[in-house]
Amino acid sequence: MFKQLIALFMIITLSGCDYNTLQSSDETITAAWAEVLNQYQRRADLVPNLVNVVKGYAAHEKEVLVQVTEARAKVGSIQATPALVNDEQAFKNFIAAQGQMTSAISRLLAVAENYPQLKADGMFRDLQAQLEGTENRITVARNRYINAVKEYNITVRSFPSNLTAMMFGYTTKPSFTVDNEKAISEAPKVDFNAAPVTATPNQ
Amino acid sequence: MLIKLRYTVGLGLLLFMTTLWAEVAIPDLSQRVTDLTATLSTEQIAALDTKLADFEAKKGSQIAVLMLPSTQPEDIAAFGIRVAEAWKIGRKNLDDGVILIVAKDDRKSRLEVGRGLEGVIPDAIAKRVLAETMRPHFKDNDYAGGIEAGVSQLIGLIEGETLPAPSGNSSDTSDGFDTFLILLFFCCVIIDLIFSSLLGSGIGAAVSGISIGAISAFAASFFALNIWVAVISGLAMFLFLKLFYLFGGNSGGGGSWSGGSSSSSSDWGGGGGDFGGGGASDSW
Repeated sequence: MFKQLIALFMIITLSGCDYNTLQSSDETITAAWAEVLNQYQRRADLVPNLVNVVKGYAAHEKEVLVQVTEARAKVGSIQATPALVNDEQAFKNFIAAQGQMTSAISRLLAVAENYPQLKADGMFRDLQAQLEGTENRITVARNRYINAVKEYNITVRSFPSNLTAMMFGYTTKPSFTVDNEKAISEAPKVDFNAAPVTATPNQ
Repeated sequence: MLIKLRYTVGLGLLLFMTTLWAEVAIPDLSQRVTDLTATLSTEQIAALDTKLADFEAKKGSQIAVLMLPSTQPEDIAAFGIRVAEAWKIGRKNLDDGVILIVAKDDRKSRLEVGRGLEGVIPDAIAKRVLAETMRPHFKDNDYAGGIEAGVSQLIGLIEGETLPAPSGNSSDTSDGFDTFLILLFFCCVIIDLIFSSLLGSGIGAAVSGISIGAISAFAASFFALNIWVAVISGLAMFLFLKLFYLFGGNSGGGGSWSGGSSSSSSDWGGGGGDFGGGGASDSW
């Protein structure tokens, strides 16, 4: 009788240690991260087309075009694998590279505002809409990832599930932080001194 | 009682939090066309509603329209995804819902496109619907006309997509139910063993029956299940256990809780569609 009791007690305590919660939230993170990667990839795929269209109307805006292309190359050089979430340093590098890309793209779009013909181009407008949509998807995917990581990290850190996590080697996972955001949202500098003398600027 | 209390606390918390963040609260979803600005006339709303209802009956996809004064301080895209996550327009797993949001005083519009429709309504097309079809109407303050034209175009687009035919409301089984049954089974075994060994088979069975009834009622509230289903399954499990052990069949009482919140079914609601942030925003 007592043996039976002890066996049952063990089964129940094991399921009470949030082992299943760890499993399912870990899997949620993997899915959420895959979606983040997917949307970043989608943006990277759009960039060459955007650069080509802008080139057609504003080829002399070399600086901005080169910046975007470089940012695109840098993003492409980082292996975007699902395993990134387990390596905090690689995660940070990846986010920083994507942040540079975000600001390079927004600078390019800001420059494009000065070219009415470019703005009227159907191809450019479609690309712009796609980029906007993709940026929004990235935001949504990032938020979902942040929430998934939050839930997971709480489970990993709180008692008694932290014991289970320790036993099975689950550690906290990195998330997007405001520090990363700062680099991304830094406003482009306006430099009036080095105004380029061009043939077709402002409208 | 317990469940009611939980809802009250949850609602209070929600209200508290929305005032804390000063975000625009997401309106309740009860009909296809929600106008918080009193711009559209009753007839216009009815006409739109009929159109959307017919379309849903024919094609299965859900379209909702929300018109509100402003989404400030939040960006309309951020507000849009919150609405989409709350309303869950579109069928589950097909994710074929579209939400059109018009922030009248902000002069901004947004199309939130469900994941399943991103193929027929990619961002570029969504942008065109907003900018080319609807914006001219909105500029002339013809909101009804703009929404009507936009919705017609959306319907035309979705009709080009092959989607599974609409089906009647499928009864969804609670996800927590099997977990609940497994836990309950172990609880039954343990409690029964304890009480039977302590109090003997007669009184022990009665006591354990009552406690199992009580436990299943409590557990049900955690898993958000119907309390009576839980109590009955608790009792069934108990009886099964008794037969299994070939003790005397002493049916324990299940406790007389008069809880169980019958969920009030609203007129119309989302089918569980998922949104990934696709769509477009526009201003006029």
